[in-house]
Amino acid sequence: MKKFLARNGPGYVFLLPWFLGFFLLALGPILASLYLSFTRYDMVGDPRWIGFDNYQYMFERDRRFWKALEVTFTYVFLSVPARLIMALGVAMLLDKGLRTIGVYRAIFYLPSLLGASIAIAILWRQLFAADGVVNQILAKFGIEGAAWISNPDTSLYTLVVLAMWQFGSPMLIFLAGLRGIPRDLYEAAEIDGTSKRRQFFRITLPLLAPVIFFNLVLQTIEAFKTFSSAFIISGGTGAPADSLLFYTVYLFNEAFKFFRMGYASALAWVLLIIIGFFTAVSFFTSKYWVHYENERD
Amino acid sequence: MSKLSRRQALGTIGAAAAASTLPGLPALAADRSIRHFWWGNPERDKRTFAVIDVFQKNHPDIEVSGETIGWGDYWTKMATQTAGKNMADLVQMDYRFLFEYVYRGAIVSLDEFIGNGLDLSNFDEGPLSGGMVDGKLYALNIGSNSQVVPYNTRLFDEAGVTADPINWTREEFATVCEQITSKTDARGSDDFSLAIENVEGWVRQDGRDFYDADGNVTATPEDVAEYWSYWKELRDAGVVADKNKTVILDPSMTEAGVVTGDTAMSTYWSNQLVAIQGLMKDPVGAAMIPHKADGAGRAQFIKPSMFMSLTRDAKDKEAAIAYMNDWINEPETTAILGLERGIPANPNVREALAPDFTPAEKLSVDYFNAIQDKVGPLPLPQPKGAGEVRDAFMRIGTEVVLDQMEPAEAAGIFIEDAQAIIDRAR
Repeated sequence: MKKFLARNGPGYVFLLPWFLGFFLLALGPILASLYLSFTRYDMVGDPRWIGFDNYQYMFERDRRFWKALEVTFTYVFLSVPARLIMALGVAMLLDKGLRTIGVYRAIFYLPSLLGASIAIAILWRQLFAADGVVNQILAKFGIEGAAWISNPDTSLYTLVVLAMWQFGSPMLIFLAGLRGIPRDLYEAAEIDGTSKRRQFFRITLPLLAPVIFFNLVLQTIEAFKTFSSAFIISGGTGAPADSLLFYTVYLFNEAFKFFRMGYASALAWVLLIIIGFFTAVSFFTSKYWVHYENERD
Repeated sequence: MSKLSRRQALGTIGAAAAASTLPGLPALAADRSIRHFWWGNPERDKRTFAVIDVFQKNHPDIEVSGETIGWGDYWTKMATQTAGKNMADLVQMDYRFLFEYVYRGAIVSLDEFIGNGLDLSNFDEGPLSGGMVDGKLYALNIGSNSQVVPYNTRLFDEAGVTADPINWTREEFATVCEQITSKTDARGSDDFSLAIENVEGWVRQDGRDFYDADGNVTATPEDVAEYWSYWKELRDAGVVADKNKTVILDPSMTEAGVVTGDTAMSTYWSNQLVAIQGLMKDPVGAAMIPHKADGAGRAQFIKPSMFMSLTRDAKDKEAAIAYMNDWINEPETTAILGLERGIPANPNVREALAPDFTPAEKLSVDYFNAIQDKVGPLPLPQPKGAGEVRDAFMRIGTEVVLDQMEPAEAAGIFIEDAQAIIDRAR
């Protein structure tokens, strides 16, 4: 025990604020929501136990639940790779050309800080509106733009573009990862006349794999939880025609618009299981593609 | 930071301790406080806070705190506060939520206060009965209104419109849209395809109701298909708002066609005429929802636009009732409120207001008087789930507006969804 404390004590002390927050603030509501997911609860009356009815309704009869899954999965599968590629690209540019200029890093990180804000979502709505800036610029080139946001066929892609633009935090992590790759590997490759392209695929990517993995897991979780931008841009309803009905937007509406707290709790637990599943898949497959330098194989 | 000496600090603490042991001090009397919660807009909030100031001036012993939020978030916050047993003493109530809150015991009857703090001797019968549930008064009417089609009088003049906007028919409405589109730089009207309130009126014009007494959906797929087809024709003819403008859901008033000048007509509630005029340069006019040529019923009705209700969490009920009573009887208060929340139900108040009416206010009252014999009875409150049916209507209607679904097919899906939503809400 003494040894354990000596070794891990400082770590736990640093974790203490999180533990306190979790046990005092989060744990109770989490357990309550598990209980509520088996009830019918409209916030005004008392919760009524209905067993698995919520879950049964969700999977067997709720078309909007499946629609929300479709929208969310489409978004996750498009936006996560797009954002990671963007982040890696910018990280490599910064790593190569502008090593010393911290100010660029800050500038490139800015959209990610702003991106979570309501203002950007509103700005996005204006940019991609039928008479918005994007279409005005397209019109200059003689292209007639679509009504990006109000057309169900294109609305989701405007959000994917927004996600791409918010590449800041994975970019910083990539940058740190790139710095960790020993320079002499590139020098050796250079001497052997290896092309840049080959260097990227044979040196950079493999050595960056742990960082890519980390970013992938984090960004996937993040993408599943996307809420505020979708909520604002769709006017809170998932409109037009449910094309922006993100899972979290649907959950919010069920809970706070239609006051089905029990059903919303059930939705939340299903989302938790989905995110858990994808994280587990990432971890499970990682041993086949993630290479840790200090490991022996 | 200014320094606080030890002696000062001790003195302050001592004084506070002394004060807390002496009941009856003015400082403690301010504990008599009430909270008033309403949904609003900047104009309404300004007037309401002015009313609160007047009340506090007249009742220095009662402190009123006002809380306001937009309609969209109001019911969320209200439900949260209800669940947390932390409701404001007085809440603004809407006809469609009234029964729900009464049956859950969240608001209490006002009967014991009538003639005992709450003076209703000068109150119109009709507006009063709108706030009754099972023969007991639960909600005090603080204004009445009806549906209205606000129009731009300049554009109507320019296009030479001769149709009578109080008695016009659906066909005349369509003709007016064409006239305006061809003779002015605006289109005829906003597209009402996503306004469920209007399709409800459409059904009532056939002498039926959208929901029956048990809350089931009695509107048919044919009704809704007919409604959507009517608007599709106008849309295809290019005489109503562009489809991309229409599919923006619940746009703010500043984006309404009649306000921006993109179109000559929109659809609203009559108490909003004053606010609409405030945003328009041209004088606004008030038209009825077009009638069905030989319809068996009326689309419109006089509705209590807003109520005030006393909640079960109210502690100082006497103070709350005193405040409520001022809203309908105290001249200074009613003068500030004006017609912003709707037409007041106290004839003395209406009379006192008349000399100072702005043109828009006069228009609201004239309109209100002109439609009295052209409206139907107040429909039963909508069933639980009606709000969600409204969302479904807009969702499926969007696909019709964007030509992704035919009106008939969409109408079938909508009616099926609507009944499923109602069944689930039971």
